[in-house]
Amino acid sequence: MVTELNLEGKAPADIDDAAPLFGEGLGLDSLDALQLAMSVEERFGVRIPEGPEARPIFASVDALVAHIVSCASG
Amino acid sequence: MRIWVTGIGVVSPLARGAGETMDRLLAGDRAVGSLALFHLPGSRVDIAAEVRDLRVSAVAPGGDAEGWSRTDAMGVIAAREALAQAGLDPRGAAVDLILGGTTAGMFETEAPLAELSRELLPDASTPHFIPPEAVAPLRRMLSHPLSSTADHVDSAAGPFRQVRTVCSACSSGANAILLAAAWIRAGRSRAVLAGGADGLCRLTYSGFGALAALSPEPCRPFDRRRAGLNLGEGAAFLVLEPEEAARARGARPLVELRGWAVGAEANHITNPEASGETAARVMLAALARAELSPADLDYVNAHGTATSLNDSMETAALRRCLGADADRVPVSTCKGQIGHTLAAAGAIEAAVTAMAIARGVLPPTIGLEEVDPACVLPHVTVQRPARIRAAMSNSFGFGGTDTVLVLAEVGAFPAPALAPTRPVVVTGAATVGPLGVLGVEGSRAYLDPGPEPSPGPIAFQASAHLDVARARRLDRAGKLTTTAIARAMAEARLEMAPRAITEAITEAITEAITEAITEAITETATRAERIGAVVGSAFGSIEGCTAFMRRVYDKGPKFASPADFPNLVPSSPVGHASIYLGLRGPVFATCDLEASAESAIATAVELLGAGEGDAIFAGSVEEASPMIERCLGPICSGITDRGARSEGAAVLLLEAEETAVRRGARVLARVAWWRSWRSAGTGGPRPLAEAPRPSSPGTCAVFLGRDDERVRRALEGSAWAEVPRRSVAARAGDHEGAGGFAAAAAVGALAAGEIESALLLGLAPDRGYAVLLVRPSTETT
Repeated sequence: MVTELNLEGKAPADIDDAAPLFGEGLGLDSLDALQLAMSVEERFGVRIPEGPEARPIFASVDALVAHIVSCASG
Repeated sequence: MRIWVTGIGVVSPLARGAGETMDRLLAGDRAVGSLALFHLPGSRVDIAAEVRDLRVSAVAPGGDAEGWSRTDAMGVIAAREALAQAGLDPRGAAVDLILGGTTAGMFETEAPLAELSRELLPDASTPHFIPPEAVAPLRRMLSHPLSSTADHVDSAAGPFRQVRTVCSACSSGANAILLAAAWIRAGRSRAVLAGGADGLCRLTYSGFGALAALSPEPCRPFDRRRAGLNLGEGAAFLVLEPEEAARARGARPLVELRGWAVGAEANHITNPEASGETAARVMLAALARAELSPADLDYVNAHGTATSLNDSMETAALRRCLGADADRVPVSTCKGQIGHTLAAAGAIEAAVTAMAIARGVLPPTIGLEEVDPACVLPHVTVQRPARIRAAMSNSFGFGGTDTVLVLAEVGAFPAPALAPTRPVVVTGAATVGPLGVLGVEGSRAYLDPGPEPSPGPIAFQASAHLDVARARRLDRAGKLTTTAIARAMAEARLEMAPRAITEAITEAITEAITEAITEAITETATRAERIGAVVGSAFGSIEGCTAFMRRVYDKGPKFASPADFPNLVPSSPVGHASIYLGLRGPVFATCDLEASAESAIATAVELLGAGEGDAIFAGSVEEASPMIERCLGPICSGITDRGARSEGAAVLLLEAEETAVRRGARVLARVAWWRSWRSAGTGGPRPLAEAPRPSSPGTCAVFLGRDDERVRRALEGSAWAEVPRRSVAARAGDHEGAGGFAAAAAVGALAAGEIESALLLGLAPDRGYAVLLVRPSTETT
């Protein structure tokens, strides 16, 4: 995520896995969401739906990991 | 002074011809259908509004079609129509051309460029120079630079006296018309053909797809179920003339161009500002320029892209601008019928707005069935007759440059007052190049003898100059540009008025209150709304474009990078700088091969003179690029013996003299004279014959990016031929933006008192720019 979103000055360890990714937490925006969805699909073959359904998946790193794991194993 | 529109030309997905396009728009026809021009396997969307049956070879002069793009062909057809309607023949009259574009020959060159770029990758087994004559398809590259469309319109529908190419993404076409108005008001032009042209290509298609901005179905502007835009393509031009000149030659007006304004949102590289604050501010400024109020408006041609964000933002902005009149003034957009034609959109929509006024009919919004509660306006869904005294046309671009035009029925309102052209001064300069990040004094070092820069990227640590967290979206050109502007801004002590004050001005009810507040703050600071940036680049982000397309070809369009796409439009570096630094005035790019820096400087002088902003940073940016060095550069400039190319950004800070003096700025130089020309269009005396004579020998110099045979030819016969020449390419890098470094070095030499006057000279095939800077006289310092 740090590389893909070019989060300069941040290390993976700095990101709280349970904290919100967008708005208040890590401060990502809709353009980051699109980039993240594209790279998740590229790396894990897991499609993130567009629109409101993506919101809970992008809630935090933990939520995103849970979605990828459930899709990959399901 | 009134500006008349005397000719209109349109090529749209609905029809070839302005009148035919309008007929079909009024009939409610839609041109959105299956994409036939190209196929992108795996694309989630496969519809667009295409211009069908376009044969480039039928438009391009014999044998030239290989170096022409579809964009060029559409541009030429629309240009010819507009000139014919105006009864104007550029072969017998001095006509100028301004074109807004974003893609030019991208469709024709994106595949070969992506392929060629593989061979130039650092890990390619045998990187090699591709000799221009070796590969036939390389002629196609002639259609790649953004300026090539204007060049081809010039060769097939001209010759024009001067030619300018501007880019501010989706507001490019509107900005071409705005600059034309500035030229006419300043008395610099008696006729301008201004508009935009943009063809569909895989790059924009997969890019907008990556941004999830494309609707899989014909789009629904302002509708509750809107799901994005449809891409379209086309071209449009207006012929604009001062009333007196048009009358003198017996021309008849179709409508008047009365108002125009441009401002940057400085908000986000792709997303519009949700409040619509900037769009509303620009609409109000355009109305003020037109000397009209919302009560005078009878129609708004909306940007209306049918994306979720645009349509609600635009509604909010219209409500903010029009107040109670927002419930009265009818609104429509033609994007449901011809799609979003990007750089052409502002020009096509200005043409549609003009025809609506002239015909007395309101065109419909097609695709709108159920109005979104966030988009409630008096939408027109079926055409109806109506007298339109005045109408507004909105265009909003990526990077946040909003441009608004106001057109009016001929003679419906008193002629607007003509403000005198404002003198322009230079108050700062900065360079980011092989010698580091330098201000006015330091940039003089590029004139000193010394070692050539090493080829390739310069040693530039962005983290030393920028907050890297905030600058994370900036590509290299964006970082170089932003750093140069920030340096010039700090050194010239150009302070921005606090946001709260500028908001108070936006909210001010009367002109008098606005003026009072402005008067009070300009003693020390400049409102961000009055600070802009115009930066030139010959080829834009070519390395970024090829990397993006390699990914599309290798992995499929659904893996196109949404974050990279906004960096590929030529106005991206300047857009990023505006966002990072909070510049909210005129923000756009210019493109004119190796004269791009001089083109940007001339454009900034013209905008400031016309009152578009009080301070504008102007210059060039060029990135290190094997593609330019080995392929595009030699092909497009004809120069194959360049020295080390290197890279960098260089800007001047130009200010209106009155506001610079009021804020107590140190005036380093005055812009005494400037001129741009095309070889074929000048006809008579040599362009530099009119230049003021140089001051006494030994106190002046000609400043150049590179000194070569072309320079000698351009100076021949002028009083400047015998003046010392100083070029910077050997130190700054022999690249297309070297003229920006020469300009900064010239300002350094003037500020140090080394010389009294400096002639900046920028040349590229068949074109030139000259800007004369002189040391301020003692009474103004």
